[in-house]
Amino acid sequence: MKLPGIIASLALLSAGLWGQTGLDSRKLLQPPIDTWPMYHGDYSGRRFSTLTTINSSNVQSLSLAWSYRTGVGGIKATPLEIDGVLYFSAPDHVWAVDARTGRELWHFAWQSNGGIHIGNRGVGVYGNWLYFETPDCNLVSLNLKDGKERWHKTNCDLDQFYYGSVAPLIIRNHVIAGVSGDDLDRPGYLSSYDPETGDLQWRWYTVPQKKGDPGSDTWPNEDAMRHGGGMTWQVPTYDPELNLLYVTTGNPQPVIAHKNRAGANLFTASLVALNPDTGKMAWYFQASPHDTHDWDATQVPVLIDGEINGQPRKLVALAARNGYFFLLDRTNGKNLVTSPFVPTNWAKGIDRNGTPIPDLAKMPQIDGALVSPNQGGATNWPPPTFSPQTGLFYVGASRAYSVYYIYDTDDNPQGWGGTDRGGANLGSMVQAIDYKTGKIRWSHPWESGGRSGLMSTAGNLVFTGDGSNNLVALDATTGAPLWHANLGASVGNGPITYQLDGAQYVVVAAGDALWAFVMPKR
Amino acid sequence: MAIAQSVLLCLAAAGIAAAQEPAPSPSLAQSRQVVQKVCGVCHTPESVITGGRTRAQWQETIDKMITAQGAKGTPEEFATVLDYLSSQYGPASSGSTPGGRGGRGRGAAPGGMLAGAGPNDKHVVDEAAADRGRKVWAAECIDCHGTYARGTDNGPNLVRSELVLHDRYADKIGPFLQTHKMQSGALGNTLTAAQIGDLAHFIHQRVYDTLRGSPIFVVHNLLTGDPQAGKAYFNGAGGCHNCHSPTGDLKGIASRFDPPALQARFLNPRPLGGRGGRGGRGAGTAESTSPGAKPVTLTVTPPGGPAVTGTPIVFDDFDVSVRDVNGEYHAWKRTPELKVVKNDPYAAHDELLTRYTDKNMHDILAYLVTLK
Ligand code: HEC
Ligand code: HEC
Repeated sequence: MKLPGIIASLALLSAGLWGQTGLDSRKLLQPPIDTWPMYHGDYSGRRFSTLTTINSSNVQSLSLAWSYRTGVGGIKATPLEIDGVLYFSAPDHVWAVDARTGRELWHFAWQSNGGIHIGNRGVGVYGNWLYFETPDCNLVSLNLKDGKERWHKTNCDLDQFYYGSVAPLIIRNHVIAGVSGDDLDRPGYLSSYDPETGDLQWRWYTVPQKKGDPGSDTWPNEDAMRHGGGMTWQVPTYDPELNLLYVTTGNPQPVIAHKNRAGANLFTASLVALNPDTGKMAWYFQASPHDTHDWDATQVPVLIDGEINGQPRKLVALAARNGYFFLLDRTNGKNLVTSPFVPTNWAKGIDRNGTPIPDLAKMPQIDGALVSPNQGGATNWPPPTFSPQTGLFYVGASRAYSVYYIYDTDDNPQGWGGTDRGGANLGSMVQAIDYKTGKIRWSHPWESGGRSGLMSTAGNLVFTGDGSNNLVALDATTGAPLWHANLGASVGNGPITYQLDGAQYVVVAAGDALWAFVMPKR
Repeated sequence: MAIAQSVLLCLAAAGIAAAQEPAPSPSLAQSRQVVQKVCGVCHTPESVITGGRTRAQWQETIDKMITAQGAKGTPEEFATVLDYLSSQYGPASSGSTPGGRGGRGRGAAPGGMLAGAGPNDKHVVDEAAADRGRKVWAAECIDCHGTYARGTDNGPNLVRSELVLHDRYADKIGPFLQTHKMQSGALGNTLTAAQIGDLAHFIHQRVYDTLRGSPIFVVHNLLTGDPQAGKAYFNGAGGCHNCHSPTGDLKGIASRFDPPALQARFLNPRPLGGRGGRGGRGAGTAESTSPGAKPVTLTVTPPGGPAVTGTPIVFDDFDVSVRDVNGEYHAWKRTPELKVVKNDPYAAHDELLTRYTDKNMHDILAYLVTLK
């Protein structure tokens, strides 16, 4: 729907006109242009925009459009933009804000019964309905138009110290919702709910629930596997043609002390492909077998339609927290590339499936093991981006060392049973990785640290945050810093972009504020 | 996962904290502002502070924020943050939530200020009752459920029991025990209501003890290295003797730091980054006055102009500014003509991190602890 600017803004103000259609489901299958309809912008997770109104030759004149302060807390959510309205969240809160002016349209606050309030990654939208997770384990559906609650459903058991933080993903008539929490030894899972009724359609456990289940031979016993962790902290990606959902899973439990979970601990710290209609697994690839460093693999599995040796290939790339970049064939999970994107010291080599082989000596020790990366990881949850134009996969990375200790020396440790301490961060940077080889094409170090989400555009730009509270635009080809704006707090999410009335906007969160920059129509 | 999720240092926005606590003394309010400035950048106000941590534990958390998350502030600001958190959210604070023992004292906490794992209405352990419960446990349960309630061949792990996790003050455990056969052969219904209540406190305490920050969540013996090998490394491959002397600057270092703190210290001797670990009490001021507190500086040379050296205030791709020894502030736009050189006294220690084997690390510690 293309409306001239004035009419569109009028429509926004008049509740009667606006929001009648909600999100046109066809938008979910198109490149994000006037809409940013889901967490990653589109199903591929590449966070690449084809817009060129802002580009490397004019980005210097990108200017502030508006800012909006929630007054509530740090925003880690990637906003959605639908019909000129932004929808985003913080723990227990959702806002709708005019995408052109930053004017608040509504604000929903949830009465909390507890849970960890560390962050909320955002919302999902289906037609006229919005979905988000609360720290106290509810999946809540709101009316997109006025933010009124339609229903809420229990997605997890708060008494088991689960909580909600991840953004739901909509695939046809499925609301795909992950689960968070790694304080107690509980199993991770991914659930699919009916968008209308909120009824559970299926639930896939990331760890086997009984002997004989796939992966159960990688656990010593049923008690271990049933409590084996593997939380689904990341929003999945999806290939509509293959009808496969790409899900990354968290660390096994107990997290650090690991005596009672001998084996690879499938399907923790893995990338798995599921059928979104049934929750059945098609294939898996484990990034960190028997993870003992809280690294998990819940980074974004980015879908790339690329070319290897002249052959068009359906690929999926993952820059994992353990420091390795993986490229797989996404039809079958076969590994094509495994390559560190920062130096690491925990693996002895790569096995024939492309999986790093953990060095026993670098697992946590009672007297400490000096390990790189540290628990924060070579990268973490902030989203990377892939530009089909440059063929580069961009990721915010750090090279850090810390010492991993076992605290719980029991033969049957519980929970964490240890942690890492001390050490130092030797540097943070953006790594631009050639997806075909895993080689670093360029590396842009930050003088003062920093590691934020990224977005790339066909304007030859990469947007991200540095350690000085700047939103920065880098030249996507060379990594040269071209433009910045100081936001007074570090970029807390992944930037998004959209075009309205011919003007291209870039929106990013810093602290408790949303900032919009704009390049007017040429 | 996720540092984002594992991080428990979650700080109140000054405004919100002020709205929910009694009127603060001016110094508290100022401290809170510093906390907000240094930490508020990353943390949501509702996730706020998880209390019940000792000063050393807070120091450890702050260190992590600095090394892993790039939290920024002056040494004085970090010292203020440490003082504030230790005094306001120490082990005895009303802000104790899991981290300590799953919400001891949680009831006293102002609503919404605290967020820890689990529900707001979680079972709050009464320590005295748990101690009484321990005796009943030893007499009637331990053979089957184990010393730490983690199970044996004869009885399941109660730390992982959903019945226990759903229990509040024996409302699930009590009814269950009525028909449960105990060590004495008697059924649980022969226990008094008080004994059952005490048992519930004991069992919940076992659950909370498995959480990060619990009293059993501590470093064990780190002194597994060979002091002779450590000394040889110090004077040889490590090159430590080029900058240090056991009879000079490092004399008596082992009496200033306990082994965990000392290990953290030589791995990263930055005034704050390395100040972690137990024995960190008062370390803030100790370090900033110690001869070791060397600042990182920048030397900026404008085209044609004189070079200026000072501590960095802003340092990024676009801007650079420093405060010189006289307290004067200097700022520049970065251009290719502007020369900026970073003088980092800790660079050698960072480089050592990439070279140490674990044996080197243990040997050095074993040697340094001899420097009493
Ligand atoms: C002779 C061994 C034995 C003794 C002694 C014993 N238990 Fe049990 N307990 C078991 C077994 C076996 C089970 C699992 C089967 C069942 O539910 O009865 C169990 C189950 C439980 C459960 C339920 C766990 C769940 O998730 O369903 C609780 C709670 C429990 N015991 C508490 C106690 C307490 C408290 C005592 C001491 C007062 C005690 N038990 C003494 C063997 C024992
Ligand atoms: C290039 C010089 C250099 C080298 C080489 C070096 N250090 Fe240091 N070290 C420093 C600086 C600078 C500090 C900061 C404190 C200071 O100024 O002494 C420091 C601090 C320390 C401290 C803390 C001192 C205190 O008073 O708190 C210890 C312990 C230490 N280093 C041990 C070592 C060891 C062990 C090695 C070799 C493995 C080593 N250093 C190698 C420069 C160096």
